[in-house]
Amino acid sequence: MRALVVGGGVVGCGAVAVPTVRFLLAPARGGSDSGRWIRALRLDALAIGEPKRVTLIADHGDAWTLEKAVELGAVWLTRVGGSEVRAWSVTCPHLGCAIDRAATAPGFYCPCHDSSFDPDGRRQTGPSPRDLDALATRIEDGVVFVEFRRFQMGMPAKVTIG
Amino acid sequence: MLQDLDNWLDERVGWRTWLRATLGQSVVVGAPWSAALGASVGACFAILVITGVVLMTAYAPSPQSAWASVHYVEYKLAGGWMIRGMHVWASQALLALSAIHVAQGAFAGAYRRPREIAWWLGLLVIGLAVGEAITGGLLPWDQRGWWARVVEGNILGLAPVIGRFTQQMMLGGSELGALGLARAYAVHVIVLPLLIGVILWGRAKLVERHGWTDGGRSATYAELLFRQAGIAALVVLFLSALTLASRGATLDAPADPMSDYPARPEWFLLTMFQLRKFFHGSLEFWGTSLLPAAAGAYLAALPFLDPPALGDGPSVVAARDRRLFVLAPVIVIFGGAVGLGVFAWRKDARDAQYAKQSAKADAHALAAVNLAMNGVPPAGALEMVRHDPELRGHDLFERHCAGCHVLGDLGDPKKATAPTLDGWGTTDWITAMMHDPDAHQFFGEGPYKGEMPSVDVRPKDLPTNKQWKPMLKSDAEKRAVAVFLASQGDEPGDAPRNEDPAKRALAEKIVTERCTGCHMYNGSGDDDGTGNAPELLHYGSVAWTRAQVANPASDSTYRKDALDPEKKKHMPRFDGDLSEADVDLVARWTRSHARALPAPR
Repeated sequence: MRALVVGGGVVGCGAVAVPTVRFLLAPARGGSDSGRWIRALRLDALAIGEPKRVTLIADHGDAWTLEKAVELGAVWLTRVGGSEVRAWSVTCPHLGCAIDRAATAPGFYCPCHDSSFDPDGRRQTGPSPRDLDALATRIEDGVVFVEFRRFQMGMPAKVTIG
Repeated sequence: MLQDLDNWLDERVGWRTWLRATLGQSVVVGAPWSAALGASVGACFAILVITGVVLMTAYAPSPQSAWASVHYVEYKLAGGWMIRGMHVWASQALLALSAIHVAQGAFAGAYRRPREIAWWLGLLVIGLAVGEAITGGLLPWDQRGWWARVVEGNILGLAPVIGRFTQQMMLGGSELGALGLARAYAVHVIVLPLLIGVILWGRAKLVERHGWTDGGRSATYAELLFRQAGIAALVVLFLSALTLASRGATLDAPADPMSDYPARPEWFLLTMFQLRKFFHGSLEFWGTSLLPAAAGAYLAALPFLDPPALGDGPSVVAARDRRLFVLAPVIVIFGGAVGLGVFAWRKDARDAQYAKQSAKADAHALAAVNLAMNGVPPAGALEMVRHDPELRGHDLFERHCAGCHVLGDLGDPKKATAPTLDGWGTTDWITAMMHDPDAHQFFGEGPYKGEMPSVDVRPKDLPTNKQWKPMLKSDAEKRAVAVFLASQGDEPGDAPRNEDPAKRALAEKIVTERCTGCHMYNGSGDDDGTGNAPELLHYGSVAWTRAQVANPASDSTYRKDALDPEKKKHMPRFDGDLSEADVDLVARWTRSHARALPAPR
C-alpha cells in the first residue's frame, strides 16, 4: 500500500515535472536565421572607401509571429575596390550594442563601452574581445548580397549562433 | 446588527481570539532608525504589489502590444501615470532603502548571533529586488529597457559553461523577442514578488523574535504595528510627492533592434557599467562578475568574520579592534559602489557624443509618444513609428541622402558633395544657384562642377578679348525666370503665386530659347547634346523628385548620363534598394522640408 502511494507520487510528480522542464528549456534549442544570403543594395550606391550602414530586409520569425520583409539586421559595407565589398555586422562583438562611425577618427566605435575599431574593422581600444564580425559578401548583376549571421558576443572566438 | 454579524463570524472562525493573541504578543523593538528603515522597505513592497496588480489590469505583454499598452496607461488611462510613477519610484526606493538598511545593519552589528539568518535574508532581498527592477525595466518594451536587457543578456553569456544557456533562458531564444518578454513578465509579476514577500515576512518575524540588534526593548505587537503604519504612511506620502514632482515615469521610444541606441544600465547598475571599462578581454568576466560576487560573499560572511565578543575584559577591546578591521572592506564596498556609479554618471554628463546621441533618442521618444496619441495600430508601436511619413522620411533621408546632401540639421556641410537642399525648389534657391552654380552649397563639390555657366557672371577663364553676354540681362528677367522655374514644382494645394501672366510667358520663352542649349524643357532641348542638364518641366515637383530619387538617369530628370561612372560622386539610383513606397516617401519628405527652409545665402 505504502509503496503504491510513494510510487504513485513519484510518477505523478514526474508527469508534471517532465513537461514543465521541457517547456521551460525549449528556447535553449533556439531557432536559426543565420547563414542566409540577403540582398543588401546596388554596388554603385557604394562610394569607394566610404562605409555605409545598410539594413537587410528579410522575413523574421519570433515565437508565434512571422513578419514578411522586415528589417532583420544591419551591416556596415565598405567598397574597397571596383567590385570588392567588405561587410561587418553592426552588432558590437563585446556586448551587442550597435556600432556607429567614430565621430572624430576614421573607423567605428561602440557608444556603450567605448570600443573602437579601425576602418578595416580591427579593434583598436576598449573592451571588445575581437575585431568587428566580418560577413561574407558576393556581387551578382551589380547587386551586393551579404551572408547574414549572428555571433556569440563577448569572447575572442567568432562563434555563429542560431 | 454589526455586533450580531461579528458574533456569528467569530463563532465560526474564531478570529477575535486570534487577533487578541497576535496583538498582545510580546516582540522586541529595535532602535527607531533601523525599525523605520525595515518598515519602509516593507511599505515600498506593499505599494509595489498594489500598484503592480493595478498595472496588470491594463498591461499586455507582447512585442506588438507592450509599448502601446504602457503608453495607454501613461497618457490615456485616468490616474495611469500616477500608478505607474508610484510603481517605478517605489521600486527605486526599495532598492535604495534596503541598501541603506543593510549598510546600517553592518555597522550596528546586526549580523551577529542569533541574527545571522535575518542578515542573509536581507542580502537576498537586495539581489531579488535588483532582479525585479531588471525584469520590470523590460516590460514597457522601449529602447532603454530593451537595449539594457540585450547587454545584460550578453553579460550573462560571458559566464563560463552555463553562460550561453542562461542567456537563452533569459532571452527566450537566441534573440530577445516575444518569449523573452513573456518570461520576464512571469518572473516579474509572480515568481520574484512571491519570493520577496515570503522573505520579508520571514525576516520581520525573525527581527520581532530577536530584535534588530542587542539592547532592543520589549513591546506588544499592537504597538509595533502602530509605529509601522505611521512609517508606511510617511513612505506613501513621500513617494506620491516624488511622483507628482517628476510627473511620473518616462517612456522611451518603442524598442527597435535596428537603431543606434547608446544603451545605459539603470542607476543601480552604473557601478558594474563603470567596472566593465577597467577589465578587458578575458579579464572582463572575472573583473565584472566575480568582484561584485566577492563583495556580496564578504557581506554574507560577516557573521563568521566578526562573531560577538564573550564576557568582558580584554577580549571586548580586542573584539572592537577586530571589528574595525572587519568593517573596513564594507566601507570600501559601499563607498566604491557609490563612487564608481557617480564617476560613470559624470563621465556621460561631459561626453559630447553621448549627449548628441541621447538628445536624438529623446527627440525620437517624444515623436513616438506624440504619434501614439492617435492610437497605435495592432501591428504594434514599432510598425507605427516605421510607417509614419515624418519619422520615416527623416530616417530615410538621414541614412541615404545626408551622406552627400545637407538639409536642415541633417548632413555635414563640410563633407557634402551634393547641393544643400534648404530652400530647394524655391525662388530664392533658384536665384542664388543660377547666379553661382559652382558655389560649394550648390554643385561646386560634385561631378556637375563647371557644367553650368552662371546666368549673370562672366566666366573667369574666358579670354578678355572674347565677347560675353549674360544669359539673363536684367533683374526683372532673373526674377521672372526664377519664379517660373520655382512654379514648376508647385503641386495642387500649394499657395497660388499670382504672377503676372505676361511675365510668366516671357520667362517660359527665355527658358525654351536660352536654357535648352543644355537643359530639356518639356521633352525637347539639349541642342548641344551634352546629356548633362536636367529636364526643367515640373522641376521640384513630387513626381520629378520621386523620379530623381528612383533613378537620376530617368528622362524626366537628369537623363541618361547621370549614372556615368566617369561622373565621380554622382547621385545613385535608389529604386530596388528602397521600396517604391520608401522612394515616394523620402521624395515627398525631402521636397516639403526643403521648401519650408530658407535657401542658403
